[in-house]
Amino acid sequence: MSQQTATHATDVVVRLAGESGEGVVSLGDLTVQMLSSLGLDIYTFQTFPAKIKGGTVMYQIRVHSGVTLSQGDGVDVLIALSKDGYDSFHMGMREDGILLYDSDAFTPPESPGRTEYGLPISTLANHEKQAIRSEVEGEQLKRLPPPKNIVGLGALMRLISAPLEPAEQYIRDLFGRKGEPIVRMNINALHVGAQHIEDQIGAKRTPHVYPVPVERERLTINGNQMLAIGALAAGCRFYAGYPITPASDIMEFLAKEMPKFGGELIQAEDEIAALGMCLGASFAGKKAMTATSGPGLSLMVEQINLGGQAEIPVVIADIQRGGASTGMPTKTSQGDLNLAVYGVHNESPRIVIAASSVEDCFWTSVDAFNLAEKYQCPVILLSDQALATRKCTIPMPELDKVRLEDRLKPTSEELSNGFRRFEITETGVSPMSIPGMAGGAYVSTGIEHDELSNPGYDPDLAQRMKAKRFLKLETLAKSEGASYYRLWGVKGHAKVGIIAFGSTEGVLRESTERAREEGYKVAHLHCRLINPLPVEAIKEFAARCDKILIPELNWSGQFGHWVRANTNIEYRAFAKDVGLPFAPNEIYNQIIELLAE
Amino acid sequence: MPETAVSQQQYAPKDYKSSLKPIWCPGCGDFGVLNALYKAMSICGLSPEKTVIVSGIGCSSRLPGFVTTYGFHSVHGRALTIATGIKVSRPDLNVVVVGGDGDGYSIGAGHIPHTARRNPDITYLIMNNNVYGLTKGQVSPTSMVPMASLQANIDPKRWKTTPYGMTEDYINPIAMAIAYDISFVARGFSYRPNQLTEIIVAGLQHKGFSLIDAFSPCPTFNQDQTDDYYKEQTYDVPEDHDPTDRVKAFELALRTDGYPIGVIYRNDTKHSIMEEQAALKARFAGQPSGSVSALLHRFV
Ligand SMILES: Cc1ncc(C[n+]2csc(CCOP(=O)(O)OP(=O)(O)O)c2C)c(N)n1
Ligand code: SF4
Ligand SMILES: [Mg+2]
Repeated sequence: MSQQTATHATDVVVRLAGESGEGVVSLGDLTVQMLSSLGLDIYTFQTFPAKIKGGTVMYQIRVHSGVTLSQGDGVDVLIALSKDGYDSFHMGMREDGILLYDSDAFTPPESPGRTEYGLPISTLANHEKQAIRSEVEGEQLKRLPPPKNIVGLGALMRLISAPLEPAEQYIRDLFGRKGEPIVRMNINALHVGAQHIEDQIGAKRTPHVYPVPVERERLTINGNQMLAIGALAAGCRFYAGYPITPASDIMEFLAKEMPKFGGELIQAEDEIAALGMCLGASFAGKKAMTATSGPGLSLMVEQINLGGQAEIPVVIADIQRGGASTGMPTKTSQGDLNLAVYGVHNESPRIVIAASSVEDCFWTSVDAFNLAEKYQCPVILLSDQALATRKCTIPMPELDKVRLEDRLKPTSEELSNGFRRFEITETGVSPMSIPGMAGGAYVSTGIEHDELSNPGYDPDLAQRMKAKRFLKLETLAKSEGASYYRLWGVKGHAKVGIIAFGSTEGVLRESTERAREEGYKVAHLHCRLINPLPVEAIKEFAARCDKILIPELNWSGQFGHWVRANTNIEYRAFAKDVGLPFAPNEIYNQIIELLAE
Repeated sequence: MPETAVSQQQYAPKDYKSSLKPIWCPGCGDFGVLNALYKAMSICGLSPEKTVIVSGIGCSSRLPGFVTTYGFHSVHGRALTIATGIKVSRPDLNVVVVGGDGDGYSIGAGHIPHTARRNPDITYLIMNNNVYGLTKGQVSPTSMVPMASLQANIDPKRWKTTPYGMTEDYINPIAMAIAYDISFVARGFSYRPNQLTEIIVAGLQHKGFSLIDAFSPCPTFNQDQTDDYYKEQTYDVPEDHDPTDRVKAFELALRTDGYPIGVIYRNDTKHSIMEEQAALKARFAGQPSGSVSALLHRFV
């Protein structure tokens, strides 16, 4: 691949729309691969039909030179492979945007200001297939699909002035063993697609992408995959789960990998069983995890409490989805915050942590296991549908930075001297024996108990043991927990400060950067730890900001309430729960409005 | 019961007795079950540190506290799930589950068929008193009065939540267990202590999931299914009974002339989830083992 230095910046949003099964996703994946091989950064945003089969799908790709923080605002290029695809997803296109449509499938309505390219994808693809018919055997020919995706790819690459060489190389690698004619068919298809656009371009406007030299090894991966790999890196060797959108692919991914890592994975009969199994495995000494979404987290509540009361490390990833009850399973939301923080009868300690970007999914997963081990309690890891399915180009994580924590275990001296599993200590953390350790036997229990784990309802005992368990969260808050946040934007006095959590970090960074470029003093504090919150950091931050804005993706402003309950700061809420991530413009407008008040 | 959980050292039944005194009412059937368990563990030579006794919630579920092994007194109905997690992740441990009829056949009933499918080497000992003991006398899924009692104007047993008589039928746990193809199904009775010990030993030694339903009368809340009642109503499983014959096992489970005590069904041909998982891991053992770096590089 020839690599020229970028002289211009790239920022193009391409949206593909069509019927599911029509190749939208594979064309999208191909495009992502080609563009990231040019050194550009990718950020995808997909919507999935609610139907099992059929329905229109949308695959949006923002390609950018340098870190890409959000899916962007308008769509520069819409590639419509069907009329329904066009109808459902042409909104959001820039008025002067570019439409590339399959002219075999439909004719779009007129729209002044727009630049249009018709591409008879099926005709061109069939033509290329026919061209090699005498060279391919009957059966193989019958099964050979016309190279529609490759025609589309060629057209798109030309449209955005991207070189075709990476695609050619890709075709050779992928189809090489299928024989020269097949390779030739695809390469020709690529060029035919490109040529078809070339012929129409004339003086028409086209966006450009400019290759960037690649300095570091990069990967293109989605949030759920990063979360699952992070779990393995953290030492997770037991997984039990029950399928649910949009968490299932974590289990599917780990099902393939777990045996290679010497661990076990079980598809449980329900989420109650899934968490029960994880608690059992962790009690037996393994690092264990389950992943679910809102409905499953609801079922797990009783056992999350058991984990808190019996002081068992466990990680529960909640990939939040849209809506209440069954809601909108294929849409996104940050609506489970209350359940994650408060979902318990009475009170027992739990840690809540949130992943904020695809790259961060890896590190948050590692952190979640470390915190669970260190503080011996359940850790709820919040992610969401948008983050889970988002593909991004990110630098290769530096694995030598992974630090692993293991639960505190009793010394042989402690084991031989009347071992106390729930010994009251200065940190609240007590040594945890593992079955097999002689002298370490105890009964793990949700019933109130003394230091030896013997049941007891004495008021003094109840007070001491509860204080001991909650002391662990205080210990965390006072030590490393105090730094579980990131600061962006102006360092000193700010006119507007944004406080937020989870998957909105990128879009908030982008919108605040835009505001700063226009001269507004804006700052942003992004919480990684939700319980316990980095309270001091939030208070200090609020003190240097004239106004605080708390944007979040749920109806009632759950995070804002939680922040106020912990810090008593005043803020403006921007809560919205329609199933979609924020767009940079929305947040930018909120900032401008708040500045004007 | 894995070999790894058997100790070289000899343990007497009393060696398994913890310092905690059972909180059960005088005359509770659970004492007999606990004593039979101590004896069975001693006979099997189980190492206390390699044994975990898991329970749910109920009078009977308090049992782990009275034993010197590791224990897990969990939440109502979920003991099997916790035990499965322990056993699958640590096949070297011996895992026993104990609990009540409400815990096992009502709130936790959904986990039984799935544990049967997985067939882990776990011994499940249910102390069946045909009533909810801990919550003081409500109807349980094995509380025995036929559904037609109200219509037939038979004076029905009045449980606290069925003051006018029961409107639901009861479960036959043995028939249910055979239907689920649980690989070892037996019935015991706490007032037949030697036999119960033998059954528990057989259950512990069975490689796979075993369910032992032990009648364990609750003199406090059940004046019908008392020790005397069961002494009259129980008899030994006929000597010529072949427990590997599933149809014969069903016939025995469905008999209405009382309750046969002993091993009613067994299926030694089933694999266990631990065996399957071990085979799966062995398939990858020769190859370069899982590496996080290799995984990440798949996405470059
Ligand atoms: C989720 C939940 N629901 C209800 C209860 C109350 N509860 C405790 S024990 C029990 C039933 C006990 O009956 P059984 O399992 O037969 O045990 P026994 O006391 O008879 O030995 C109930 C309903 C509970 N602890 N948790
Ligand atoms: S209430 Fe019944 S089951 Fe519970 S301890 Fe007393 S006798 Fe035993
Ligand atoms: Mg009972």
